[in-house]
Amino acid sequence: MAGGEQYSGVHVLDPEGVDYTGAEVEATTVKPDDPPMPPVQWMKTNLFSSVANSILTVVSGLFALWAIRGILGFIFDPERRWEALATNMRLLLVKSYPFDQMIRVWVSFAILLGLTGLALGLSRSGALAPVSRIASTARNVGLFLILVGFLGPFELGGRIRWWIAGAVLVAVWFGVWRIMGDKARFKMVPMLPFTLVLLGILVGTLWVFPYGDYRFVDNNPTFEAGTVAMTSKIGWSSMWLTLVGAWAVGVAMSRSSFGVGLRKSMPLIWLVAPFFVTWVVMRDPDLDWDHVLSTDIPMFLGFAAIGGVILFFLSKPGLGEAGRLIAIALVVLGLATWVFAFFGWAPLWPMLQKARLSFLLLGIFALAAPTFAGETAKRLRFAGGWVGAMALLHYFATMINTTSTLEIAEPSFLGGATLSLFVATMTMIFSFPLGVLLALGRTSKLPIFRVLCTTFIEVVRGVPLISILFFFVIGFSLFLPQGMSMSQVAQICLGYSLFSAAYLAENVRGGLQSVRRGQFEAADALGLTGLQRTGLIVLPQALRVSIPPLVGQLIATYKETSLIYIVGGFDLLTVANRVISNQSDFLGAKMEPLIFVSFLYWVVAFSMSKYSQTLERKLGLGTR
Amino acid sequence: MTTGSLATTQQQRPPFYRDAVVLKWAVQLAVLAAVIAAFWFSASVGLQSLDDKGIDADFDYITESVGIQIAEGIDTKPNNGGRALWVGMVNTLRMSAAGLILATMLGVLIGVSRLSSNWMVSKLASTFIETVRNIPLLVQIIIIFTVFTVILPGFRDFEDPFNEVGPINGWLHITNKGVAMPRPHIADGFYQWAIWLLIGAIIARFVYKNRANARDEHGGETYPGWIALGVIAIFAVIGWLAHTVFSFLGAPIQTLSDLIGRVPQAAVQIALTVVAFAAAARWIQNFFAQRRTPGGSARLTDDDWFRVIFAGLGAVLAAGVLWVLWPGLSSWIVNSTSDLFRVIGDKFSAERTGAPLGFQRPDIVQPGNFANNGVQGLVLTTWFTALFFGVVMYTSAFIAEIVRGGILAVPKGQSEAAAAMGLSRMQSLRKVILPQALRVSLPPLGNQYLNLVKNTSLGVAIGYADLVTVGSTIGNQKGQFLTVFPVIMAFYLTCSLSISAVVNYFNRRLAIVER
Repeated sequence: MAGGEQYSGVHVLDPEGVDYTGAEVEATTVKPDDPPMPPVQWMKTNLFSSVANSILTVVSGLFALWAIRGILGFIFDPERRWEALATNMRLLLVKSYPFDQMIRVWVSFAILLGLTGLALGLSRSGALAPVSRIASTARNVGLFLILVGFLGPFELGGRIRWWIAGAVLVAVWFGVWRIMGDKARFKMVPMLPFTLVLLGILVGTLWVFPYGDYRFVDNNPTFEAGTVAMTSKIGWSSMWLTLVGAWAVGVAMSRSSFGVGLRKSMPLIWLVAPFFVTWVVMRDPDLDWDHVLSTDIPMFLGFAAIGGVILFFLSKPGLGEAGRLIAIALVVLGLATWVFAFFGWAPLWPMLQKARLSFLLLGIFALAAPTFAGETAKRLRFAGGWVGAMALLHYFATMINTTSTLEIAEPSFLGGATLSLFVATMTMIFSFPLGVLLALGRTSKLPIFRVLCTTFIEVVRGVPLISILFFFVIGFSLFLPQGMSMSQVAQICLGYSLFSAAYLAENVRGGLQSVRRGQFEAADALGLTGLQRTGLIVLPQALRVSIPPLVGQLIATYKETSLIYIVGGFDLLTVANRVISNQSDFLGAKMEPLIFVSFLYWVVAFSMSKYSQTLERKLGLGTR
Repeated sequence: MTTGSLATTQQQRPPFYRDAVVLKWAVQLAVLAAVIAAFWFSASVGLQSLDDKGIDADFDYITESVGIQIAEGIDTKPNNGGRALWVGMVNTLRMSAAGLILATMLGVLIGVSRLSSNWMVSKLASTFIETVRNIPLLVQIIIIFTVFTVILPGFRDFEDPFNEVGPINGWLHITNKGVAMPRPHIADGFYQWAIWLLIGAIIARFVYKNRANARDEHGGETYPGWIALGVIAIFAVIGWLAHTVFSFLGAPIQTLSDLIGRVPQAAVQIALTVVAFAAAARWIQNFFAQRRTPGGSARLTDDDWFRVIFAGLGAVLAAGVLWVLWPGLSSWIVNSTSDLFRVIGDKFSAERTGAPLGFQRPDIVQPGNFANNGVQGLVLTTWFTALFFGVVMYTSAFIAEIVRGGILAVPKGQSEAAAAMGLSRMQSLRKVILPQALRVSLPPLGNQYLNLVKNTSLGVAIGYADLVTVGSTIGNQKGQFLTVFPVIMAFYLTCSLSISAVVNYFNRRLAIVER
């Protein structure tokens, strides 16, 4: 079962009808390697099985050699100015984030890496692979390096260096075979620690090899040979240590009850992390403690306490009509605060934006309360959830509303790769719930909802993303009432989210349609309410089916962030294509940064698509 | 009795605020009202803020001069905004149509290659797919465009750029402004020649059927396709030499045109009225015939009577339009038909003795300080070429994966059966595997076609004059973003809906007919 189809939107049954049940997946991941074929026989079956095939092999082989030679000739052309890339690396990644505050970027990166390591460790993920497969990968890379030595435009000395590197890798393979023999096919190595070690070696080379130090000093590019900047050495080493440390901690905790609890709350932590990293770590709010103590904390406590009590009361079993009426009253109250603000009657009833958000949220929680009705412990958990939601909301609202300490002239402190990543992340976070709602609306039995959702989805899917972005970046501010404004980044995120939500909705709809009728009927027979049926029975099954297309949509969104370039944001592509080639020192150096940008996009998109294929195989989709 | 049970049901009904039906409709209507209110409010705010800026949101730009120049297309100096948008639309359509064809061909080729048993070929195909589809299309387009502007020679690289541009001067110009080559075009004697081709095609059809029948009856290869093509080729050659034969058609067609031009307006009006009433009468007659049962006419419901009345009213309405509301319509029909025949007659006039097709060779002109690359011929500008290659490669990578999935979905027994029947690998692929794979891959293929059309809008990044580029230029010029925007949206929606309609049509045609 190949996963590429999912990514491209096709759903294909496994041709041989193999049923990948869980046990068999386990078996396939740790399957010993096939016995090796002698090279001559391999070539005979795979390259020269017939005359036509031989001709095809020769022609395509020559084409491949020509292409590799062309690419190498381009990369190692003395006219290429890769130093333009090295000197501008900071610009590409974080744009004009203040240099003296760069530690914040490192900390943000460390937080994300630490979470990644922790998640990997807690779930003890990572496949096993036979030693022989690793060895033959090393051999193939080695052979390729030797080929590069032949084809590249090098002096003899350079060629010899490539050949030596290649020979070492081939020797590794040879050594493995000499020492382990046939046992190499059955000896399994966990891939994750192996990869971490490889990464460690890569980081370690920073301390050994003099890659050179490229940077701007007073707007002049400088180059210092034979050294690597201390910031890079320490920075990357500590990143590696964070990753490995978090992974080790995760593995150590994975069996304890705390670890299990932590693993269950990982999704929530991942959801909060982007907000924390951007608005707290990178933006560094300058908290006004008087205001915090006098207003923010009391406000939070008030909402948490009063709301908690109300919700605890509302989730009492058998409350009946009264509960509904109170919930509806709360919703009306929440909506009213927004209507007041929107029509400029806010002076009649002044309040902070986070209070309005809290009121609205309280209404939504109150509506959901009967679903959580039950014994006292369950009701307490529900009220606790409310307090947690309030804590997050008030914390982030306070942080976002406080002015930043960053001394930065740009309208946004995000730029370059951070902007692209930020937009992609926010799009993911906001488009997912919206997409699920749209999908539910489109499949609902209520005609007005269905028509509204269908119209939205079809219109958005029928027009190009760029027109939607243009609309939001240029036209949207016209539609905002007097005195309201929206930053460009927010407009871009809004456009992306709405666009992506329409596509997500179609993916989720596919999942919803795959849920059997019997599941609905069984839920009804159990006496579940409509909300419970959707949330507990239908959606989990539907989302499970739609995971592969959802990951495909994720990759698409990530690639689409390059369109920020067209609407005038300062993203990765803008820096690469417009900024660097206009610097007086690197005039016209366009291809180098562009190649780097495509490489960055490629690495992430490629690994995500590979991951989605693995996931699809694991879930055994399309085979049940 | 009935009323009694009804009464009990009514008593059991919950109060209105618990009644599921009432609540459902109340919530839906409330949401609908909120959506309409939000739209209404935003529209009023938007108009107000435009008013503050001194801009009237209107569609006047369609007829006004917008003073923009378009780099390529059917009209480089459109004299109003509507025309400019039309040029942009044609450019988008041109790019999409060319892209669809090439991307499909390339995609099928790569998809089949990826499944090849030849290691080298399948590795090359999968490398191409994995590279191309994991890099954003926009980045690819910009890279291709940059490469073109860097590696292709500029006009300065030639010694005498206004007269001598390589590689083959006057036939093929390759510069960083694009590629110029001779453009075939319809010339003098084309329509006379087309009649020869038409006759050839009709005869070829009979020949094809005849040969195919012979093959089916007696076995053995009779090459129906090749022979039919040969017949058409023979007629094409004869027609090329003797196309003036059909010049005699010119005079009668002109006479016909004059005759039509003399038809009085009233005659057309009467004829069309008669047609309208006859159609209505026929419809009503058929309707009654349908309602007739062996036991006599069925009772007509109110609804049926309405339909009959509406049919009659339709005829009356048509007559009203013809005689009162728009009497000019009839004379317009007369005049334009007459004009049409005059134009056709002119195509067959005796003076047209030149060759059916002509070739315009590229020719360098210098309107200002800069030389223009072969404006006379067929010019693939750098913008067009970069966007075209980018879009085609990107889409073909996705199409290749779809084709591969489709082929894998065909049961293995099919290819084994084909092999058992003695079909070659190529034959079994063409006649057994691909047709079945098409059935699975058509819906996602349609999605990719939609994506391709939408992706051509990325041309705005490198300045290809497509609808979005032209539209945003006009929007900037006139400050009319809000009214240009719906035009762009409507155009793309129309394209998308038409493509889905075509794909759905073929999808239904291809669906397995079950018992």
